[in-house]
Amino acid sequence: MTTADGGPLRLLRHALAWGPLLLLVVGPVLSFLAYGFFSVDGTTIVRTPTLANYARIVTDPIYLPVFARSCALAASVAALSVLLALPVAILLWSLRGTLKYALALAFLVPLLMSYIIKIYAMRAILGGNGFLNRALQALGLVDGPSTLFVFNLNAVLLTLVALLIPFAILPIFLSLERLPRNLMEASADLGGRPWQTLRHVVLPLAMPGIAAGAGFTFVLAIGDFVTPQMVGGTSGFTFARIVFGQFGTAFNWPFGAALAVLMIAAVLAAMALAARAGRPPGTTA
Amino acid sequence: MKLGAVGLAVCWAVAGLVLAILYGPLLLVVVASFFPLRQGQVQWAQFSLDNYAKLMANSGILEALGNTLLVGVVAVVLATVLGTFLAFYYDRSRTRARELLQLLVFLPFLMPPIVTGLALLIWFRDLAIDRSLLTIVIGHTLLILAVVYRTVLVRLQALGPRLVEASLDLGATPAQTFRHVLLPNLGSAIAASALLAFALSFDETIVTLLVTGTTNTLPIRLWSMMRLGFTPDINALVVLVLAFTTVVCLATARFLGPRGLG
Repeated sequence: MTTADGGPLRLLRHALAWGPLLLLVVGPVLSFLAYGFFSVDGTTIVRTPTLANYARIVTDPIYLPVFARSCALAASVAALSVLLALPVAILLWSLRGTLKYALALAFLVPLLMSYIIKIYAMRAILGGNGFLNRALQALGLVDGPSTLFVFNLNAVLLTLVALLIPFAILPIFLSLERLPRNLMEASADLGGRPWQTLRHVVLPLAMPGIAAGAGFTFVLAIGDFVTPQMVGGTSGFTFARIVFGQFGTAFNWPFGAALAVLMIAAVLAAMALAARAGRPPGTTA
Repeated sequence: MKLGAVGLAVCWAVAGLVLAILYGPLLLVVVASFFPLRQGQVQWAQFSLDNYAKLMANSGILEALGNTLLVGVVAVVLATVLGTFLAFYYDRSRTRARELLQLLVFLPFLMPPIVTGLALLIWFRDLAIDRSLLTIVIGHTLLILAVVYRTVLVRLQALGPRLVEASLDLGATPAQTFRHVLLPNLGSAIAASALLAFALSFDETIVTLLVTGTTNTLPIRLWSMMRLGFTPDINALVVLVLAFTTVVCLATARFLGPRGLG
């Protein structure tokens, strides 16, 4: 913020900036990646590099299928969340003044509300005797309590969507807000009806926000082990739960790290995909 | 932009559904804290504050709450100072290395919390640092750093270099420039992000679960209570936490103002 400062002061500045980051971000990341190549012997970590963990992941019939299922689940959560978030974001965008501000707040406040509490509340709603079931019965849609979403992957899906919708709404809304209004007017002047304007002008330009929303939700969904534990029962098993388990009683940290690397790969792939999909039309790669 | 009548109706319908999904569960918990729940039926006749009374008597909860607040305050102070410093550093830097710096700042926030937590867990063990309140503070600081950094940087870049140049031209020292020119302009950004960061820290569950030793923060306490069984005073605790978070959120909104949404 000022003109150049002297030698030692400058060095100090650089040290203060990079020091904490190297110590607390680079260090953990590197040691984490390294752990995947270690093994465990009783309660001690054996630090001789080996590929045994990764071999186990590939050959053991549990891990890859669960991983694939968890990725599919996270993708479904992302898709459903974006689907619900889009009309909400469009609605917010079309409003003005206090109503807009108040409604936006209403949709975004849940972002800050206790995560674990929402899971707890969803559990009460999704149970066999829970509110959702009783509402369905009252409406005559089912005869007895449905087990469709009681303590299984569907429950996990519904809960995750309920938790993550605001994360999808925010980027889409912000992306729409940045669009210049005169684009809509131009489209209308050229004879486009609202639906056409939406499809051919607004949506392509809002893609960065939509992609970001889908990306966020995917990343958050795939790493969540609390939700499956609380509402998933025995059949709602996700990859994140397996990873977490390695750091509990199973005490196989190296193996857990190797599994987590798989998860990181999925996250990076999702982010790359989102960045690609979010590139505004007309720009070249 | 004008939506057709049908489009508008569809949007409102979905919005209503989403609001129900977002607030329904919470409403249920609030109701359940004041009225007993028998077999899924609310006993409307038996309003009582028993749950809240039981909560106040529970010293474990109060200790957990104290820890949560302590961690929150310390982590926010650290993150605010470091985040602001890093934002200035990035803005001033003219090298490509600054992109790497920014990536490192964002990394703990972008990775799934489970990964961040596990990486820290392993690292602390390698460094033979015992898990404690300190490790929780470090974890939280790393998570919320990105929020403060980004908010301050965006505001800093929006301000542009002219104000600072003008101030220096008029003879102010860098320190005076910082105090009288930059700080007032950045003040609301820093305050808003600090509040937001505090709320995030208050609620932080996953990373905390992984890097805590035997210390309890509120989310951890809630987590273990829920695994053991559902006693009604959990609902009371939940309502209080919700009230607190709502207040913090509304306070943040005041700082950002309607302009902040754009």
